Amino acid sequence: MNTEKLKESISLRVADSVLKKIAGDLAIPRGRAGRRLRREAENLAYIEIDRLVTTMSDEIAGAVQPRVEARIRQILFADKPEESRMFNRFSLNIRTQHWVMAVSVIILVITGMPIKFSNAAFSAFILKLLGGIEVSRVLHRIGATGLIFVSVYHLFFIIFTKEGRANFKLMIPTPKDAADILMNIRYFLGRSREKPKFGRYSYIEKFDYWAVYWGCIVMICSGTVLWFNNFFMHNFPLLIQHVAKIMHSDEALLATLAIVFWHMYNAHLNPSKFPANMVIFTGKLSEEEMIEEHPLEYEQLTGHREEDQDEKK
Amino acid sequence: MKSKFILLILLFSPSFVFSQNQIRKCIICHQKPNIHKVMATGIERSVYVDKKVLKNSVHRNLKCQDCHVDVTSIPHQGLKIGRVNCARCHFNGNNLGAPNSPMYQQFWESVHGKKFKADDPGAPRCQTCHGGHNVFKPSDSRSTVYKKNVPATCGRCHKKELKDYSGSIHGVAILQKGILNVPVCTDCHGKHDVYSSNMSASHTSKQNVPDTCSSCHDNYSLMRKFKLTTEQVHTYTGSFHGIALRFGEKTVANCASCHGTHNIRKQDDPASSINPVNIPKTCGQCHKGANKNFAKGKIHLNPENKDSGLVYYISNFFFWLTTLTMLALFAHILLDLRRKLKEKKEEKETHK
Repeated sequence: MNTEKLKESISLRVADSVLKKIAGDLAIPRGRAGRRLRREAENLAYIEIDRLVTTMSDEIAGAVQPRVEARIRQILFADKPEESRMFNRFSLNIRTQHWVMAVSVIILVITGMPIKFSNAAFSAFILKLLGGIEVSRVLHRIGATGLIFVSVYHLFFIIFTKEGRANFKLMIPTPKDAADILMNIRYFLGRSREKPKFGRYSYIEKFDYWAVYWGCIVMICSGTVLWFNNFFMHNFPLLIQHVAKIMHSDEALLATLAIVFWHMYNAHLNPSKFPANMVIFTGKLSEEEMIEEHPLEYEQLTGHREEDQDEKK
Repeated sequence: MKSKFILLILLFSPSFVFSQNQIRKCIICHQKPNIHKVMATGIERSVYVDKKVLKNSVHRNLKCQDCHVDVTSIPHQGLKIGRVNCARCHFNGNNLGAPNSPMYQQFWESVHGKKFKADDPGAPRCQTCHGGHNVFKPSDSRSTVYKKNVPATCGRCHKKELKDYSGSIHGVAILQKGILNVPVCTDCHGKHDVYSSNMSASHTSKQNVPDTCSSCHDNYSLMRKFKLTTEQVHTYTGSFHGIALRFGEKTVANCASCHGTHNIRKQDDPASSINPVNIPKTCGQCHKGANKNFAKGKIHLNPENKDSGLVYYISNFFFWLTTLTMLALFAHILLDLRRKLKEKKEEKETHK
């Protein structure tokens, strides 16, 4: 409804009915004198309406307000009820660990792959872009420092903090994960209508975590041997350099492939998340996503909701 | 009768007889073994010509005057006689008999040519290496530039290098055993295009040494003759030294840094730079304080070769780990993608 027209017509309608009643009660002459009298009556009617509305404004407001508020409340809560319930998935601490690692790994891959595939055309191009092998070697060590730092920090996190210990326990593979894999494959193939119900961490996320765990151990150990090659060659047979080199080079390829294809697909590029999953930026998951992706955790959280809130306080 | 015979020959091959005549005239004096001239500096120089050598040289059909252009009369006392200028005939594009080759120009850009242009008295001229009257084809064993004679020719000036080379595995092979497959000076340094190793164009520059060595050492059939492998080339190019060198790192080791240059010797030779006893010193050129641990194990280790032991098994382990893991992950991704796309399609249809 157009409220502008409505605003005009209210006082107009009242004034009209006032004039009609006056015309019925009194005999107003025709002609010029009559027209002047009618205009006078109309003006007086508007003045009286205005006075009445002014004196009664509080009462009118009191009568209008609850009806408007009820309707607005209805709109506010009926249309988007789920937005009121967001779940905290990743704390700022966890998200920061993830990003330090992500940036470090990206630097390491960009500066490392041209060395592994030194005959490829892209390698020469990338190294030229970075300013030559002298610069890329320094960048690789900066990336390595970031990775080592976050790995050590993470060890302290899972040993000495309550949050870390709780999350680490949930990362440990269980027989249920094996059952989930089989069930998920049956579901993918259409053999089963039922999806496996995941807890806080699905087997996909557990694989990601342990792949990184294994990768960090291999890459940091072998990388240290290569970085401080003089020290290691002094104190160990030459063979250790060959072993470190082959492990560093081969594990780098496996890790890069796993990140680029597996992690990117499952976290961001799959049709239900495409183009990007915001949880690693915001740390929050909607109720709908929780029910879809982590139903067991959802049940647990909603079952013991008060407890959870108490813990936060 | 005799004059008629000469006339006959003159008619049929005038140049031959003419040149023989010319040589015969000059040789009257120049065949005397003790003939010499006194240079402006006071040094006596022999001008003896061995007729037999000249007659067999590649220039046998030329007259003396074709090269010694400033000898215009006999006797030539008082005439200023300069050096023979080979470039009168030996320039690229000459179609009068001298072989065409870009080599002539290369000489002027080489380290020898530049010194020559700068009037360095020690700089070699064409004759220094190729000989004067005794110019033979390089394939002729009498030639000063015949493969086996090259070390001696270069060694006339480069005495220390010749000494080092003579004791090296390459030098012993060619000079003592007569094996012509091994490199002599010119195979590594170039013939006319000899540059200082500091120049990037040089065959022996830091970045070019691996290519120069691998021109033989990457030749499988050649290496098999000597029961050697070509693995050294591939293990080097795949090593950090090889990769860094290709990307322009200047301080990294190339073949010569460890194996030496002129004095390359077999590993079991105590004088070899790669003999386990000498390894700490050799590696220590860059890796300060290198000790005997550096000699424990092979440097040129090929992970694809079963003889490499542990490294071979680790390499295989990672190959299978990567292959199987990625196959499983890709299968999971594709199945998930197929299912999710199907669900989306169904969802759309139900919404319609």
